[in-house]
Amino acid sequence: MTRAYAVFGTLVLAALTWIHLTGWSPSNVTEEKGIPKSVRDNPGSYRSSYGTRPYTGAK
Amino acid sequence: MALKPPTPPSVTSLVCRGCGAPLEIRAPGRSIVVACGACGTVLDAQDPDGTIIARYETRNTVVPRIPLGSRGRLKGEAWEVVGYQVRRTIADVPFTWFEHLLHNPTHGFRWLVESSGHFTLAKSASGLPSTVAENEATYLGDRYQHFQTAKAETVHVLGEFPWVVEAGDTAEVDDFVHPPLMLSRERTGQETTWSAGEYLSGDTVWKAFALPGAPPDPVGVGAAQPSPYTPRSGTMVLMLTLFIAAAVLIHVLFSILSQHRIVLDQAWEFQPNSAAAASVMTEPFVLDGRTSNVVAEISTTLSQSWAYFTLTLVDDESDGSRTFGREISYYFGRDSDGAWTEGASWDRVWLPSVPAGRYVLIVEPEGPQPFNYRVRLTRDVPRPLFVWLAIGGLCLPPLVFWWRQWRFETRRWDESDHPMSGSSSDDE
Repeated sequence: MTRAYAVFGTLVLAALTWIHLTGWSPSNVTEEKGIPKSVRDNPGSYRSSYGTRPYTGAK
Repeated sequence: MALKPPTPPSVTSLVCRGCGAPLEIRAPGRSIVVACGACGTVLDAQDPDGTIIARYETRNTVVPRIPLGSRGRLKGEAWEVVGYQVRRTIADVPFTWFEHLLHNPTHGFRWLVESSGHFTLAKSASGLPSTVAENEATYLGDRYQHFQTAKAETVHVLGEFPWVVEAGDTAEVDDFVHPPLMLSRERTGQETTWSAGEYLSGDTVWKAFALPGAPPDPVGVGAAQPSPYTPRSGTMVLMLTLFIAAAVLIHVLFSILSQHRIVLDQAWEFQPNSAAAASVMTEPFVLDGRTSNVVAEISTTLSQSWAYFTLTLVDDESDGSRTFGREISYYFGRDSDGAWTEGASWDRVWLPSVPAGRYVLIVEPEGPQPFNYRVRLTRDVPRPLFVWLAIGGLCLPPLVFWWRQWRFETRRWDESDHPMSGSSSDDE
């Protein structure tokens, strides 16, 4: 286990060095215009605190 | 000079007075009793006439795992199996274990105890433990933790013993552990004896006595079974510390040695429905050095509004380009929960692996309201996120290691009077 961890840790450090050296990143930097206009015009409606409330159906 | 009185000759064989079977005495002069393997009758091993000490109605059918008379080497010494007894706890669900009595003419007797496939080689303790508390005993400098207390009875006996033993004998047994060592106290109405043992694997025992087949599969974790994790725990801590220090050092070094050079810092004003403001292009700027990242920061004067930016980084020499979009929205207010904010009026993004070259940036903003904004590009900035990801990744194997170590100890202590998980299990 310790030997495997030594190999794993060395690989992680090598990957960190390579990422810092090349500036590589796995993430996509583009954000989609995904938020509908109705939400944009209703600020606060998609705050996380709203999301915790269970849906109870229309009144 | 006075002559010593002649020593009576030791009995080396007997005839069972219960069934007539011949009995060999393997430790003559030391064995006190011998139990007949054929009928279970217990005889006086020092009486040439084999006086009967105990006799049973039922026939003794027990077969030891290691046959009487087997010889092997354990801990560098030669031992012969001379006796065997089966014992169990007196409980609603009795637990049975097996004790082989070993003999060496020079070193005396040892017990090879098998419990659920786990073995312990024990001998009489050399002196009493120095401290015996309710849950602890100290013996020869080692601190033992109380494992369990049980009332035990002898179910079967076979072969020779250096004390008077017979089926039905009872004793109160306390076990203390300091893996791989074990300390046991047996109390009967007349005496208290201590024995000290050390854990052995079934493979070691099978190899020592050259037994056919495979040893019994161990069930669970033995009381004195050494943890395979404990000796390496310190090494894991050390390695984790060194790896984290190295990760931080790598980041600090890159932070010091990287360019951190601002290559563009320009502000504009946006007006909706203005063709001139819909798309702007910067003057050419140079990204030099090795291929590395570029940080794009957009700060705005947005308030209760949103904007979307389409940015295109164009290589002025090769006409290659990369386009990316960023959305910025910033809202705030107050409701029954108090003040709230949502989003931010600025944004930052790392553009990965941008080769050196001469570039221009095309910015195409959109939004419902006018606002001012500024775009700044910084060349070669180490990203702290990756250090945290590396540290998280480096922590994972030690966490798994320590979880498995904890699990091992939990399984051990779940069989004791002091379970770690609050429940007992017989799994694995």
